Parts: sequence; structure tokens; C-alpha cells
Amino acid sequence: MSRPGVRRVTWRALRASRRELAGLGGWSLVESLPALLAGYLVARAVDEGFLAGRLLNGLAWLGVLAVAVLVGAAATGRTYRSLGAVVEPFRDEVAAQVIRGALRDATRTGGRPDSAAVTRLTHQMEIVRDTFAGLLMVTRGFLFSAGAALLGLLALAPVVAALAVAPLVAGLVVFLAALPAMVTHQRAYVRAGEQLGQSAATALAGHRDVLACGAQTRVAAEVARWVSAQAAAERVLARMAAIRSLSLGIGGWLPLLVLMVAAPWLVERGLTAGAVLGALIYVSTGLQPALHTLVQGLGGGGLRYAVTLENILRTCPVSDDQRPPALAARMPRRRPPAGPAGRPPALEVRGLTFGYGPHARPVLQNFSLTLVDRDHLAVVGPSGAGKSTLAALMAGLVPPQAGTVHLAGTRVAEVEPAALARMRVLVPQEAYVFTGSLADNLRYLRPDADDHTLEVALDTLGARPLATRLGGLGAPVAPALLSAGERQLIAAVRAWLAPAPLVVLDEATCHLDPVLEATVEAAFARRPGTLVVIAHRISSALRAARVLVLDGDEPVVGTHEQLMARSATYRVLVGCWDDPVVPSPAVSTRQR
Amino acid sequence: MPTFAVGDRLLRQTVLAGGGWTAGLAAVALLGAAAELLLPAALGRAVDAALDGGSAWWAVSACALVVVLICVDTLTDLASGFGAARATAGLRRRLLRHLFAVDVRVTCRHPVGDLVGRLVGQAADAGQAGNAVVLAIVAVLPPLGSVVALAIMEPVLGLTLLVGLGLLAVLMRAFVADASAATAGYQRVLGNIAGRLLESLTGARTIAAAGTTRREEDRVLAALPELDRHGRHTWGLLARASARTSAVAPLLNLSVIAVGGYALTAGWLTPGELVAAVRYAAMGAGLGAVLATLNHLVRSRAGAHRVAELLTQPATPAGDRPLPPGGGALRLRGVCVHADDGRPILDGVDLDVPAGATVAVVGASGAGKSTLAAVAGRLYDPDGGEVRLDGVPLRDLDAAALRRAVGYAFDRPVLIGATVHDAIGLALPVDAAAPPADRSPATPEVLRAARMAAVADVIERLPSGYRTPLVDTPLSGGENQRLGLARAFAAERLLILDDATSSLDTATEHRITEAVLGSAGGRTRLVVTHRTAAAAAADLVAWLDGGRLRGLAPHRQLWADPDYRAVFQPADGGS
Repeated sequence: MSRPGVRRVTWRALRASRRELAGLGGWSLVESLPALLAGYLVARAVDEGFLAGRLLNGLAWLGVLAVAVLVGAAATGRTYRSLGAVVEPFRDEVAAQVIRGALRDATRTGGRPDSAAVTRLTHQMEIVRDTFAGLLMVTRGFLFSAGAALLGLLALAPVVAALAVAPLVAGLVVFLAALPAMVTHQRAYVRAGEQLGQSAATALAGHRDVLACGAQTRVAAEVARWVSAQAAAERVLARMAAIRSLSLGIGGWLPLLVLMVAAPWLVERGLTAGAVLGALIYVSTGLQPALHTLVQGLGGGGLRYAVTLENILRTCPVSDDQRPPALAARMPRRRPPAGPAGRPPALEVRGLTFGYGPHARPVLQNFSLTLVDRDHLAVVGPSGAGKSTLAALMAGLVPPQAGTVHLAGTRVAEVEPAALARMRVLVPQEAYVFTGSLADNLRYLRPDADDHTLEVALDTLGARPLATRLGGLGAPVAPALLSAGERQLIAAVRAWLAPAPLVVLDEATCHLDPVLEATVEAAFARRPGTLVVIAHRISSALRAARVLVLDGDEPVVGTHEQLMARSATYRVLVGCWDDPVVPSPAVSTRQR
Repeated sequence: MPTFAVGDRLLRQTVLAGGGWTAGLAAVALLGAAAELLLPAALGRAVDAALDGGSAWWAVSACALVVVLICVDTLTDLASGFGAARATAGLRRRLLRHLFAVDVRVTCRHPVGDLVGRLVGQAADAGQAGNAVVLAIVAVLPPLGSVVALAIMEPVLGLTLLVGLGLLAVLMRAFVADASAATAGYQRVLGNIAGRLLESLTGARTIAAAGTTRREEDRVLAALPELDRHGRHTWGLLARASARTSAVAPLLNLSVIAVGGYALTAGWLTPGELVAAVRYAAMGAGLGAVLATLNHLVRSRAGAHRVAELLTQPATPAGDRPLPPGGGALRLRGVCVHADDGRPILDGVDLDVPAGATVAVVGASGAGKSTLAAVAGRLYDPDGGEVRLDGVPLRDLDAAALRRAVGYAFDRPVLIGATVHDAIGLALPVDAAAPPADRSPATPEVLRAARMAAVADVIERLPSGYRTPLVDTPLSGGENQRLGLARAFAAERLLILDDATSSLDTATEHRITEAVLGSAGGRTRLVVTHRTAAAAAADLVAWLDGGRLRGLAPHRQLWADPDYRAVFQPADGGS
């Protein structure tokens, strides 16, 4: 099913570099010069030189061959250069595909960032690069050197050439017939290895847990199952290798055998000693090694190429059309105004239902909520109650199973991502900071902001000390060297700068200290527009105008006072969220 | 290094583990080497016979040798593949058993990736030992033999070959140095691109919300032209190196023919002998490639060494005493644990936990809390002192009885199993651990544990409930912890919670504490915690300071001490 994928991609890569391939072919032709001449020149050297007692004559013929060898060697160098010109663009294409696939997968609805993409980029792509090059070299090497040897043989002794071709073709046919099965088994072997690795990694990562549960035997037996599966796959591969050797034996050794059997008869017909020697050279240094290289190359690197590229294509499907679907063209449809002032509400959620699967109990059921401009809502609830899911639904990142979300009268499901980004900004817990200057990072959502605007933002959100420590707006930022809190602060400044009227902070300040968190939230509250804070600390709820309590099946909205009276969950959350009950008068030492 | 000797012993064992396959391989390979060495001579005689109209016997024997060679190649593949599969699987099973027989301290010294690498990669290298030894020895025979044969036939021919081989070795060495320097630049650029990709993947949610996927693609791909340049540079270097080396072998062959031609003119050789000489020379030129097979041996030995390193770690000795009736009274006497560098982590700790009591273990980070928790349930043995459960030293206790009695929950539990159900049931007997065959969502034991850990709600919202595959279940830190807690509730006498509720909001923690206190009566609890609420809820607090027990009293009593209060202050103003 996916093998045509490998074939199509390979074929496309080859067609794209026809010119370079022509260059490769040209140099290969020159490279095969010694293979073409070897037997013939040695035959002349023996017949007309050494056996005729004319040593210098013989040496002269060999000298011609030596020159051909040097020319061929120079051409070998050129073939590698041409090879690079074919392989590197292909590698570029695979790299772009891996990267695009990984990014699309991570950012599409319900997708998850897959760190294995990095392995695909660094490890698997390199395998594809090396094996693709190897495959090209081996195939054209076989075509040219086997062709040259056969031509030479034809010139020297046409009958021998005819006799040698038959077993060669027979060996090739056996090998090519077995090739699809080899690919299948090689694939099974690679998968078995991956599964063994995954299973072992999980079991060993939980070594402590397994011991603590006394489940050693059970877990080790589970991993051992994969050990046996891989051994079985390895045995099948050994059988395949045996078939490969057999085809090599038929194609490589039988011509020699044929030549031996036919030699006395050929000599009777006037074949000279030199010609016999030359024919032997064509068969044993031309045909046999060429076939050997082809079979080993296709059977080793070729299989690795097919299986690895297939693996890459499976996870990063090739799209011939690289544009996103036509959603972009459509204009968002506006509903008639609904608010009392004639303006639609900033956020309107109606009858929202969402669950992780068709059979799962929904996280939200028939949920409705309206926020007007300049509203400030905090969402609280125990972990796992669906707070982040609600944030994603509000931002239009996840489609609900039922119900609608409108932003300022526009239905989010009908807006393409770039337009949606101008309507709302979502700041998740895991802040995104990339390698680049601080200014680049801050301008991410508002590329036209001038330096002064950035400076004001830094001051407003209390990020001045961080900016100074980093070395100002132009200073490079290395995300790995920042703490989680510092990354969150940069992401917060960036979101504050964004032109979108609605801001959703999804535990976006959980790594900031409480004082800085208050500064950041206050800055967002003063900002024109509407603010939704998925709260990590209960203090966020105290700062909000209204609070939404998510817990189980009945979400409740109200002011702090209303909820203290109406929601038992809210009372528990307020009572003991941070470290609460301190059994002594030393309460003052704790931060509230 | 003594371990090298151990590694070599393992290598020998692995060679033997291939069993009949390795012996068969040796026999077949020896036969093949003999046939390969005899063939040129037979061919030469056959050519002479054909030219002189002599006997056809030599041609027949040459054909027989060719048939033998075809069979040998095929059988070699079969025997080496089957032998390696058998030896590798045996080695892996042995290592796997051993890894789960050693205690946690041993495996903690190695990153998981390293352990997996040894089990998957290096065990496979070591499993090739039989093939590597046999083939390395046998593969040297034809080239060496051919040098000897040439020298016997005509000493000058042998000498020519040897000089050429030396030249070849020098050129190959130069290439290796060239290529490695060139690939470094390529690898660096590739690393940069991978780093940027990882950054973008980490910020996937931000990028999705901002609709900037395309911009991110451009950012990550920006360095591609540079990669292309480095890539082409490596091909250029390869081109130069290959142009140099590819001339040598044919020229070597040619010089043998030239010398042989002279010998032919002088009448020292027959045409058939020249045929044989040319073939011997080609075979001898393969000596460089044969030396490469020695690499396999080196790799095999290195693999065996790395596997043996783990196998020599002593397994935890298991006791055989059953557990007498009791309520889970825990008693530590003079417990000492040292770090690998000899620094004391626990230094003579005496602690009594009465049956059914809850004891909170508190202390600054590095005070030895987790170590105390680890030795209390025998995740490993203390270096000194003794731990008893209901009067029986843990060392003497039957392993199965110990695990039935003691349960652990951790700060960052690793969940194991195909489904959520399996993960909760890890400590349960097999029939209760696997999802039920009928349509009920889970076994009663698993359901009860999930409810107690306040995680039943979360599981019911998963796509397939308890049968949801773990790999498809994105769990937050708090949800992970609750599944880890549910798993631990199978314990009958002693529950050890090592910071096991640190990621839960206090509302959830409160529910769990109530559930555990309510229905786990009779179970003793040892609770490592950073929270005052948890310490206050315990019957007693064991206050650890620098590896010693500084206090054992109710929380209210200890709270008067400012040093004790300082234990609960966050290290910085952050979360």
C-alpha cells in the first residue's frame, strides 16, 4: 500500500534531477573504461607479448590498460560529485517533508507534538540519504561494469558472452523475484526491533515501579515476548539472505563454470591462451563483482532505504498540494447584533458538548456562557475537570461535538487560523520561546510593533529586569537557558502586545512567583478587551470579576461572594488551595 | 579492569550459546575457505589442460569446487543468521531477568536509554560473537593462503602483492581522517535544524493558536541551504578520496599480471599458472576488506563487555519467611545508606511506626526522605541497620509476601501496561489486573482503587474508559499521580506515599486523604510530604535533617520550632 509511496517519491526525485543523472551516467561510462578493456588488453598482452616472447610488447599493452585504469579512477571521483548533486536535493526535500509533517501534526486539531520527529530528522533521514546514494551507485555500477564486461567478452569471444549471459540473467531473476518478500521481512524485522525497544524502554523506565509492585515476572515476560518475536524475524531474514546468496551463486559462479566446461571445445575452435585468460578476467573481475555489489547493495542498503523512507512517509504523508484547504478563501459570516448595546458579546458559548471519544463521558455537556467586552473571568476547578479543554474550545482550536462558539458575533468554526489569531490569543502553560532576538520573540503576534511599544509592554508586565538581564531587545534568546517562569513572562508580554481583543491565559503564569503573577494579570485586566484566566492559584479567582467553577457535571458561574454561598467545591478550593490550614498563629509567615 | 575479563567470559559463553549453528558455521566456512584456495589452482590446471588438450579431470574438479562454494555461501548465511538470532535472544532474556532481579539503586546509575541500548543494541552486537569469531578466523585464510600460494608459485609475485597491499592500507587511512572532519560541519547544521524543530514542537499549542505553522516551517527550514552546502562538500571530499583509492586495487592486479607476464616469457610459468596467479592476486587484494571483519569482532567484544557490566551487578537476595499475622508495624533500627561517593544519606535512623498509624516524613530537600521511603519497603537494602515489618526483617521475607503487604506511590509514577486498567492492576494478581472478559468496565479491585484515588471520573471520560491504551492517553501530572496512587492501594499492610500527591490541587488531595483514611483502616501509612496540611493530618511527623531523625512528634508540637517551620518554606518565591 505504502510501497508505491516509496517508489513514487524515488521516481519523482530521479526525474527532478535528470540533468545531474545524465552527468552521473556520462562519468560512469568513462569509469567503466578499464572494465571494458581489461580482458581484451590482457589477452593481447599475453598472445602478442609474453607468449610470443616479446616482453616489451606485452608490457606496452598492459601500460595502455594502466592508463585506462587511471582515467577510470579520475572518473570515479567525478561520479561522486555528480552523485552529491542528485542526493542532496533529495535529502533537502525529505528534510522539508519531515519538518512540515511534524509541525502540521503537532498543530492540527487533536494532534500531539511527537518528539520522534527529531529522530526522523537526524537519524532516519541520514539513513535515507546514505542508502539512496548507495542504491544509485550500486545500480549504475552494475549496469555499466556488467555491460562493459559483456561487451568486452563479446569482442573477445562471442560464444562465451552468449554462454555467460544466461546464468547471469537467471541469477538476477531469482533475486528480483525474491526482493518484494525481502522488503516485507526486512520491514517486519525493523518493526520488531522498534517494538522491543519501546517495550523495554517503558519497562525499564518504570523499573522502580515494577519492583514496588512485585510485577517483575509479569513485566519481564511481556518484554521477553518481543525478544522472541525479533528472533523469529531475524531467522526469516537469514533465510532471505540464503536465497540472496543462492541467486548470487547462480549469476556469479555459473558463468565461470560454463566457461570451464566449454574451454577445451573453444580452444579446438582456435581460442588462444590470451583469450581464455581475458575471458576469465571479464567473468571473474567484471561480471561476478558487479553482480555481487548489486545483490548485496540492493539486499542490504536498498531494503533499509525502502523501509526507512516508508517509515518517514507514513508519518509525514506527501501532499502534492501544499496549500491548506479552501477555508482561507471564505469570509467569516457575521450574525445580526445580539447585545443590548447593539454590539455582539465578546464571547458567546452556546450548548457546548465535548468528550474525548464517542463512548466517553463528556467533559462538558450543553454548556453555555456569555462574556461582554472588558469582562474578566477566572475558571477554577480540580485538575482533570476540563479547564484546558474549555480554553481550547473557546479559542476554536478544538471543534466541539455539539454547540457553537462565537467571538464578537463570528462563529470560530468558520474562520481560518490566521484570521482567528487576530480575534483572540491563547497563552498555554508551556510557553513558546524560540532561538532569535528578544524583539523577534515579542513581535511574534504583532510584527509591526515598534521598539517603543515593546519597551512599554516590558515595563507594564514587570519584565524589565528579565530584559535587562538578557541584554535588551536586540539580545539573542536561547530558550534552553531560560527558566520556565522566564519563558512564561516572555510569552505573556507577547500576548499582551497582540492585537486580539480576547485573551485566554491557560495556566500561563503558573511558574511565575505570586507577586509577578498579580502584576501580569493586572496588566491584562487593564488591557482593552476581554480576559479569561484558567486559574492555577485561587488568588487569580479573587482578582476576577466573575468566576466559573468546573467540577463534574454542573459548572457554576458567579462572583466570589455568590460562589462562596452556592458552590461547595468553590469553598473547598478557596479553603485549602495553597497551603492552607496552618495550626498555629504563625499564619503571617505564609504568603496569601 | 576485571570487568573486561568478565566480558570476555560472556563472549565465550555467547559463542557457545549459538550451539550447533556456530559449530556448523565453522565447518561450512572452513570448507568454503579450502575450496576458495583450491579453485585458482584447479582453474589454472584446467586452462593448461584445455590449451594442451590434456585431461578434463581438472575442469571437472574446478566445477565441483564452484558448486561447493555456492552451497557454502548459502549455508553460511543460514547458519550465521540462525546462530546469531539464538545467541542474541538468549542473552537478552538473561539480561532482562537480571535487570529485574537487581535493586533500584543499580538501575538508577544508568539512564533508561543506556539500559535499553544495552538490551537492544549491544546484546545484538554480542550475539554476533559466534559469527564474528568464526568468520574473522576463516576469512583471513583465503587472502593469507593466496599470498603463500603466490610466493610458492613465484616469490616475486608474492612480494609484488605485499608491497601493493601496504600502499592500499596507507591510502585507506588517509580517507578515514578526511571524511570524519568533513561530516562534523554537516552534523552541526543538522543539529541546529533539529533543535529549532524541537523548539517549535514544544510550542505547538501557541503556534496552533497563532496560526503560524507556515512561518514556523520557514524558520526551521532556513538553515537548509547551509546543510546542502555542507552535504555537497562531503561528497566532494569523498570524490577526491575515492579517485585516489579506486586506482590502487586494479593497478595492484595489473602489476601482478606484468610480473607474471615476464615469468611467462621466461618460461617459469604456464598460461594456466598465470590464470591462477591473477586470481590469487585478486583474492589477496581482498585482505584489506577482510581486516574490516575484525571490526565485527571488536564490536562484539565491546557489546559483550557492556552487557556483562550489568550482569555482574549482584541480584537482590530473596528471603523465604512468610509474614506472621499483624497490622503493618514498621521498625527501623540504625538504618544507614551511603551515596556512591560514600557520603551518608541516612545516618543511623531509628524509627517505629505503630500498626495502623500514619507517619509523615518531612525535611528539607536532600534530607533523606525518599531514601527512607525506599528502604522502608525494600526497594533496596540499607547499607547498615535493619528494617522489620511485623517483626520480620525485610531481607528474610518472601518476595511475593513482601509485595502483597507493601505498596508504593511516587511523586512521578511510571505507568506500565497496555491499558489504563493494566496500569492500575500492576500490583494485583493477574486475574484482577487484566480487563474483564465480559462487558463490565473493570474488575472490582481496579474500580475500587480508582475510586479511592479520585481518578474514576477522569478514566470514565477517556475514549475507551479503563480499556483506553496508555499510549493514547495524554495524562497531566496530577492524573498520573492519581493512577499511581490507585495502583498502590492493592497493598495489605503498609502504604508508602513518596510525595505522591505533590501535583494535585488541594481539593483533590483532600478527597484522596479522606478516602484513604476512611477505608484503609488497619493499614500503616508512611507519607513523605512537603505540605503542612498533610503533616498536620498525620498521627506523627518524622522530621529528617541531614540524614538523621531530628524529631518524632505530632505536627502541632514540632511547629513551635522555627527550624521545623522553615522546612515548609518554599526555596524561592516561585510556585
